Amino acid sequence: MNIKITYSWLLEHLKTKAGPQKIAEVLSLCGPSVERMERRGKDWVYDIEVTTNRVDAMSVFGIAREAAAILPMFGIKAKAKPLKLKRQETVKSYPDFTIKNDPKLIHRIMGVVIEDIQNWKSPDWMKQRLLASGIRSLNSVVDITNYVMTEIGHPTHVFDFDKIRTGGFVIREAKKGEKIISLEGKEYSLPGGDIVIARADGEIIDLPGIIGTKNSVVSENTKRVLFFLDNNDPVRIRRTSMSLGIRTVAATLNEKGVDPYLGETAILRGIELFSEVCGANKIRKIIDIFPKKSVMTKVKVEKEFIELRLGVGLSKKEISKILNPLELATKWRGNVLEVTPPSFRINDIRIPEDVVEEVARIYGYHNLPSKLMAGELPQKPLGMPFEFEHGVKQILKELGGNEVYTESLVRQNMAGKRALALANPLGEDTGYIRTSLKPSLIKAVKGNVGAFEKYHLFEMANVHLPRPAGLARTGSLPEEKQLLAGIFYGYDWRVAKGVVETLFEELGIKVDVRVLNDGKYEVNKAITLSVEEKKIGQLGVILGTELIYYEFEADVLRAHYSVVKRYKPISKYPAQIEDITFVLPQKTLINEFIDSVKTVKFVEKVELGTIYKNAYTFRVWYQNPKKTLDNNEVRGIRERILLRVKNKFGGVIKD
Amino acid sequence: MKDEITNLRAQVVAQIEASSDLAEIENIRANYLGKNGKLTKLVKRINEVPKEEKKEVGLLINETKNTILAILSQQKNDLKETSRIWFDPTIPGKKPQTGSLHLMTQAIEEVANIFTKIGFVRMRYPEVEWDYFAFEALNFDHDHPARDEWETFFVDASAHPKLGKMLLTPHTSNGQVREMLRVKTPPVRMINIAKCYRRQSDASHYPMFHQFEGLVVDEGISIAHLKGTVDYFMTAFYGEDRQARLRPYNFPFTEPSFEIDISCDICSGRGCKVCKEGWLELGGAGMVHPNVLRHGGIDPVKYSGFAFGWGVERVMMMKPGLGINDLRTIYSTDLRYLKQF
Repeated sequence: MNIKITYSWLLEHLKTKAGPQKIAEVLSLCGPSVERMERRGKDWVYDIEVTTNRVDAMSVFGIAREAAAILPMFGIKAKAKPLKLKRQETVKSYPDFTIKNDPKLIHRIMGVVIEDIQNWKSPDWMKQRLLASGIRSLNSVVDITNYVMTEIGHPTHVFDFDKIRTGGFVIREAKKGEKIISLEGKEYSLPGGDIVIARADGEIIDLPGIIGTKNSVVSENTKRVLFFLDNNDPVRIRRTSMSLGIRTVAATLNEKGVDPYLGETAILRGIELFSEVCGANKIRKIIDIFPKKSVMTKVKVEKEFIELRLGVGLSKKEISKILNPLELATKWRGNVLEVTPPSFRINDIRIPEDVVEEVARIYGYHNLPSKLMAGELPQKPLGMPFEFEHGVKQILKELGGNEVYTESLVRQNMAGKRALALANPLGEDTGYIRTSLKPSLIKAVKGNVGAFEKYHLFEMANVHLPRPAGLARTGSLPEEKQLLAGIFYGYDWRVAKGVVETLFEELGIKVDVRVLNDGKYEVNKAITLSVEEKKIGQLGVILGTELIYYEFEADVLRAHYSVVKRYKPISKYPAQIEDITFVLPQKTLINEFIDSVKTVKFVEKVELGTIYKNAYTFRVWYQNPKKTLDNNEVRGIRERILLRVKNKFGGVIKD
Repeated sequence: MKDEITNLRAQVVAQIEASSDLAEIENIRANYLGKNGKLTKLVKRINEVPKEEKKEVGLLINETKNTILAILSQQKNDLKETSRIWFDPTIPGKKPQTGSLHLMTQAIEEVANIFTKIGFVRMRYPEVEWDYFAFEALNFDHDHPARDEWETFFVDASAHPKLGKMLLTPHTSNGQVREMLRVKTPPVRMINIAKCYRRQSDASHYPMFHQFEGLVVDEGISIAHLKGTVDYFMTAFYGEDRQARLRPYNFPFTEPSFEIDISCDICSGRGCKVCKEGWLELGGAGMVHPNVLRHGGIDPVKYSGFAFGWGVERVMMMKPGLGINDLRTIYSTDLRYLKQF
């Protein structure tokens, strides 16, 4: 969360000679980070990011306190200037007004009735400061609540007292579906369990900590106001604010747990401004309902612990000097430090590591040494897939493939039948966790049609398959399976298959293929690939398209690939090479044909060349590892081939 | 004899001019000027010539011979010139079709190499995860905003009796406690690069993105080691001239927590539109929270550690010169984009 404040406002709470740039620089290094600073007339506006655990720093005063602790570490004197506020009630509390609190919902309630609002116009200095903080000026009464919140850090509110006087306040949880109309005139239906302030008759008159309602809002005819402050349950505030989408500054502060002890400062500062700006002098007695005070806890930490975590040595005095300006009380018992955090840090300083953080950041991370770990190296587990994955991608790239990353979250009709659904998707298009890469790759291919003649896209990504019902009940995560998939556009079947064959050759995996007809691919235009009888994936022409798709399980490929390729001695005796053209009957599977011919003794290699009608030309390598074959021997081998082709395939040599 | 010579000359010249290759020219030369060539034979018959004509015939023969030689070499050169095949070596080459590795793959590989060089072990953990490893074991309060349905994707599946709801991991930190439980006894030095999911989508957020998570646990690990590791990465990934700084921050699973910034390359740290007063946010880091170590079965008194988890896309987009400003561009499947990398 960010807060915008001016340099001049900051200096009202901070005594220092540091210039605006210097303050920005040191705050960023050791405290809340100044993201931007901008000139405004003679003044500067800081835009400061405050982390969610430091809601105490979400105010001009909070930033001043941080700066006062940090600047001295850079050799610049600085001191926070606490406000000198006095109670100045002039009349006793309003007689018949009652508040019925629920301490579970609101931890502290403070309020004061101010009776004689004279002036409804804010002075220029107030308007400008609010504007610099990004808050639009409305009228003096509302502006005071925003001014107090920005300066002190506790959200406050103001009611038209005459609109709410008779009913009193009942703090309760809202029922689901109860309606409110916000002060901006928007109607909301409450989700239930929200903190509301209602009148005795049940009508809701405020959504405290988030936004005011129309039926209790001040207007310029208002003479009497109730200046009000509620320190509420942060969890309920967030739930209501998020589900209604009302993200006011008050809500973002309240959902982080504002210090209830800040209430008093806020109320007194508000009263001061009401008399100064609105000319109000009739101040009723302050109402203060504070049933459960916070418990202060001490944190013990050893000096050595701090030093070990920082990697530097520090004296006890140095440590105390760092912590005290942050209002962390310190007490040393030998080398053990006892730290008592102030009320506004009790949720934040709880364990020794929290104290380490305070010391480290104020000492300055930039002052700490920078070194790499010495010591023993961890053992690298065996069988990690990373090199294999990168190798596969590299091969496919060399073979002309373009790698894509498509979304894991897809619409229902792209996810697969049993796909897991998200309980809270961002939209219909990304409501399911995919079980296949195919629909994503088809989509990717289609997006490129027209721009390129032929291309090959591939992806390696996880899909998630739900466990069978029994296992799901026992609490198993879905099966996370990494797939390697690719798709060819504009490729001839033999060229696409050649790419896949080369991939396997490069990986040293010997695959067998079988025709696949499973209805997902064009009839007779798909194959199953397997290794040692185990199916590892498919390649086929997707039904109704000319796209050729392949999909393999990465883990199975990895289990079969050879990291080390084995050297095969090169024969001293040259091979005899010859082209033979066979006329083969229709529907002959050429792969099977080649495999069969290769089993003829001394046939080293067979490759398919050209095809013309039913005439297939093969290049045959004849080789005997022990001698050079002569023409007679080659003739003998050729005859054995012809015999095999005739008997097994019914093929003849072409004249 | 004089006529014979004159005829012969006319004959040779005609033949030479009609010749179309070097072999033919060589034939002509041998035919007339060779050992048994026609002109050579005429020379041998010089004695048949009457005395008074001898001188004249001699001169004629010489002149004829020279003429033939001159025309022969002329024709030879002409033929060489015309027989040379026209060749343009500056013609554009025919390129083999190469593919491309995705920008993310390249970035992930680079990051992994940088860390494995200093002893980090690359690991991988589930993308679909239990609440326990993504939040509970990492010391997130039950009411922490990250745990609510506006920030994290939950899976529509039954919850685990002990490990809680099923979700898409919103960060790579889900590997922290898993890695501690795997290793059991430090040293732990792990790098986990993986897909993560968050419920947001705009120019700098995409529901799916990648993070890399570093985790180091050992005796005596201090903030100085975290600084050293960050500085090493910065130099290796961005080069010598970029600075890093640690800023206080807040995360549930680290204490102290930091945000790491890198000096802006556009304004060299002076402050500009793109950066925040000269610095760009790189990502979070911190010293591992003792509760997290405890959940990992590691004694927080004996051991300490640090962790960091940064967006791969973000880190990559901050490399000067890349020129991608919208995160959504990275996941485009447009080949005109893919082929550029």
